[in-house]
Amino acid sequence: MGFASQDALINAITTDGKGDMAYTSKTLGAAGVAGAWTLLGPQAGTPQLSVYTGTDLNFVPTDDTWAEDKIYTGGDVSPDTKHFLSGGASVVAAAGAPWFIMAVDMVGFVPLTTTNVSTTGTKAVTMTAIGSSAAKVDRYPNGQGLRMFVAADTAMGANAPTCIVNYLDTGGAAGATTTFTSTASATIGNVLNTGAAANKYNPFLPLANGDTGVSDIVSLVWAGTAHASGTVIIGLCKPLWTIPVPATGIYTKVDFVNALPSMRKIPDGANIQFLMFQTGATTSGGSVFVDFDYGYN
Amino acid sequence: MAGFRNVGAFADADNKGQCWITGFRKLVASAATPTSGFIDYLYYSGSPAANFYASAPAVSAVVEANKGIYVPSVAPATQHLKGLTVMSNAASATTTSNQRQRLIVADYLMYYPFIDTDAVGEEQLLENTITLPRYGSGKVIAVSQSAASAVGQFTMTYTNQDGVAGRVSQNTFTIAGLTGGGQVATTTLSANGYHPYINLQAGDYGVKSIESVTFTAAGGGLFALVIVKPLFTHIVSQECRRTTTGNLESYGAADKFDALIHQAGSPRIKDGAVVGIFGQGYAGSLASSALVGLLETHWG
Repeated sequence: MGFASQDALINAITTDGKGDMAYTSKTLGAAGVAGAWTLLGPQAGTPQLSVYTGTDLNFVPTDDTWAEDKIYTGGDVSPDTKHFLSGGASVVAAAGAPWFIMAVDMVGFVPLTTTNVSTTGTKAVTMTAIGSSAAKVDRYPNGQGLRMFVAADTAMGANAPTCIVNYLDTGGAAGATTTFTSTASATIGNVLNTGAAANKYNPFLPLANGDTGVSDIVSLVWAGTAHASGTVIIGLCKPLWTIPVPATGIYTKVDFVNALPSMRKIPDGANIQFLMFQTGATTSGGSVFVDFDYGYN
Repeated sequence: MAGFRNVGAFADADNKGQCWITGFRKLVASAATPTSGFIDYLYYSGSPAANFYASAPAVSAVVEANKGIYVPSVAPATQHLKGLTVMSNAASATTTSNQRQRLIVADYLMYYPFIDTDAVGEEQLLENTITLPRYGSGKVIAVSQSAASAVGQFTMTYTNQDGVAGRVSQNTFTIAGLTGGGQVATTTLSANGYHPYINLQAGDYGVKSIESVTFTAAGGGLFALVIVKPLFTHIVSQECRRTTTGNLESYGAADKFDALIHQAGSPRIKDGAVVGIFGQGYAGSLASSALVGLLETHWG
């Protein structure tokens, strides 16, 4: 399905009512880190802040039935297909501009707490590999296009160990990310593999040469001096689109209908979340507003 | 088959995960840069980390891969630039000098550091211990590694795109009054104007290697000769800032380049590329400004 023409699109979203707008608003719970990315899920607002609950080292799928709060995007529409039509974003904060906002479809995460963060070594993950069934966790078949990041789910303690995530690629072959250096004393939501320093990757962990996605997270390996404390998640997501925000209070609107490639698909089960890049240290209490329009046919 | 045969294939690369997005943030040092002069963003701190061309003087070297904006290696597929979005953050609430920049995105191939611009009358021999890692040849820019006090003049001998050695560049001028490293240090024809590339002997369009440099007038500084492959050009149209007095106002623009729409073609980025940017600030000094952006590639 989809839209065969501009007429089909206009008919779907007007005559047939096959479309809507969705939004999020978040208030940053702590000052950000200049040059780093922040996961907006653990920030207060709408949807409610996510705590990324789960059993340590067990993969938790996240779709539109996830127990924690999420953005509603109209539910399942198959055999129709749903697509982004436009997106907009603004940030209001005394410092931190300019910003980028990135929408991702969060496919799942792996929580790590206590000694799985405060000790070094290999932390084996339990996960059923993403396949190509009709299940919502398989909405990107065999993990095609999925990317990983490691984010602070609470404030982190001192020290910055190095880290590698081992995974299986879309064909089931073993791979490992490039080693990154974590961030000491990061605030909640900070993406630990990002920042303005050596051995940082913004915002996703580089995969092995030639790999195009991740079907299975195998383990996380900390080395060096472990974080003194904190909880983290390994996020597994599909990047969708980005919006630049040049300065505080400026609202940027992006048209996805006339871009190329255009109208990124929102698969049934999508769990839309957001990452934010900040040039400077965004002020605690800064607010982020993002909206997007979608249609289906 | 590598590459994209049609719009469908171009779009489908994203669905297949054959794409990458990298954020970068480069903070220009506090030393003033000349109006309309080029600077080498690779030289400045941030993400990726700064590259100071700090290796053995006059010996050929490659820029470390982690000093470039990260792009994956994808062989046997071929990778192409999909898009680039940039914003330039002003040094202060009242700074406007970082608006209106021309950006040249390039693959940094090979360099020769610490050329002494005061060595008048002697031929500085350059040591070629490696060969150009990608492309058959490239263009040459000179990146300052110190302040520079005078207008120097020099020529370089090089091997051209066809492998012919002993070619001699046009007489080239250094730029006086540079206040620090990271600034493109030479121009052509006279001490006025800012041309980033060193003009070659008539009929040549590329350089495989550089064999020597000879100064006829002292420039009072040090620079690195860098062989680059320009990939595409882009712009910054306005600085990003928020006033702090009077009627508070926000200024700024994000400039997005979609390869297939805004340029005839989607430039290829070769495996192993060290992607960097040099920029030209038309409105004044770029000191203490920040260039942030998202570079998107895809492959097929």
